Amino acid sequence: MSELLKITGLSKSFGRHIVFSGLNIKLTAGKVYGLLGLNGEGKTTLIRILLGVIPADGGEIHYKDSAVSFRSAAYKEEVGYLPEDPFFFGGMRVGELLDFNAAFYRRWDGRRAEELLKRFSLDRKAKIKTLSRGMKLRLEMAVALAARPALLVLDDPTSGLDVLTRHDFLQDIIRELADSGTTILFSTHLVHELERIVDHLFILHRGRLILDEEHEAVKNSIRRVRLSFQGDPPQTLGIDGVLSETREGQRMDVIVYPWSDDKKKKIEGLSPTLLDIEPLTLEDIFRSFVAG
Amino acid sequence: MITIETSGFIPIYEQIKKGIKSEISLGVFKANEVLPSIRDLAAELVVNPNTVARAYRELELEGFICTRKGKASFVSENSSSLIQGEKVKLIEDVFDQAIAEARKFGFDAVEIRRVVESRLKNQHKRGEGEGR
Repeated sequence: MSELLKITGLSKSFGRHIVFSGLNIKLTAGKVYGLLGLNGEGKTTLIRILLGVIPADGGEIHYKDSAVSFRSAAYKEEVGYLPEDPFFFGGMRVGELLDFNAAFYRRWDGRRAEELLKRFSLDRKAKIKTLSRGMKLRLEMAVALAARPALLVLDDPTSGLDVLTRHDFLQDIIRELADSGTTILFSTHLVHELERIVDHLFILHRGRLILDEEHEAVKNSIRRVRLSFQGDPPQTLGIDGVLSETREGQRMDVIVYPWSDDKKKKIEGLSPTLLDIEPLTLEDIFRSFVAG
Repeated sequence: MITIETSGFIPIYEQIKKGIKSEISLGVFKANEVLPSIRDLAAELVVNPNTVARAYRELELEGFICTRKGKASFVSENSSSLIQGEKVKLIEDVFDQAIAEARKFGFDAVEIRRVVESRLKNQHKRGEGEGR
């Protein structure tokens, strides 16, 4: 698999506030990347830099092995984007928006645009401002996908939508993945939505990538360990990688990453009366990384 | 109906494999019948298409399904005999889980055996009650 996008040493500050410094990110073609972080940790800033909306203070971005110039259209033409709050020209009709966008993209696929309108039940003649939020999202998607993007960037596009609309949206994304194998960078605060979809996880926290790992690898090596002792639990379990720890009477709960048989043996050596080892959901994984 | 849960130890592709095997054993999918496409099943389950592709690939290696070049996957001729062996494995899994739970509560082998015996007797009685 080839490297699609490579970000090295990226830094950005707003005034005295450092959003991130020395950030390195690599995207391989055909994979789905989840970008997680609490509000205000710079997810949207990173995405806006990637799209050339705002400049970085330092660092480099390479796309398909050449340095990205935001002045040239070549890179922008291959990147599709669904923002959290889409902007539409008020009076435009669905068809007009498509024709307007078609002019900017050399890779624009008119036939695909029509197929997408049909699949999403969008009427060419409908005024955009009369569309529901869910339909607006589908319109955005039709515009983005008709341009046949090599990289699709999703910046929390489902926030504020109802459960069914979000579900439909995810299914549309999955069909797109199956059809064209687009690389996806998916930022969302609805972490559980990524659970079944992402190949790779990024967690952005306090200006750093505190996690940059395959989803399956994390899932396989992070564990919640529930312990009970005869009397008070020990001061320390004597293992590293404890992301969080809670104590209550004789009980003790820890989340450990990476987990190993060695660590298990060490804990067993403390002779707990109960030792329960459980996997974590993506939401719990996220919480344990950013809570510490 | 294949259901996916994400809170346990079992990876999604394993759950898909298990789901399809159980559909075959229940006769939902019969020999030589076409399976849903990777695209359709991925969308239905809301999972990454690569995950479904992996499940299909492994089911093919194990002989449960066949894929015609670039075409649909279908249930292979000898899938039902393979499933016979799988059934034992499926039941063993269920027992493994139950035994692990029992051990958690501190039950020993004798106590576990007693529970199993009593459940069997119970089922047997109920079976007799149901009109034999």
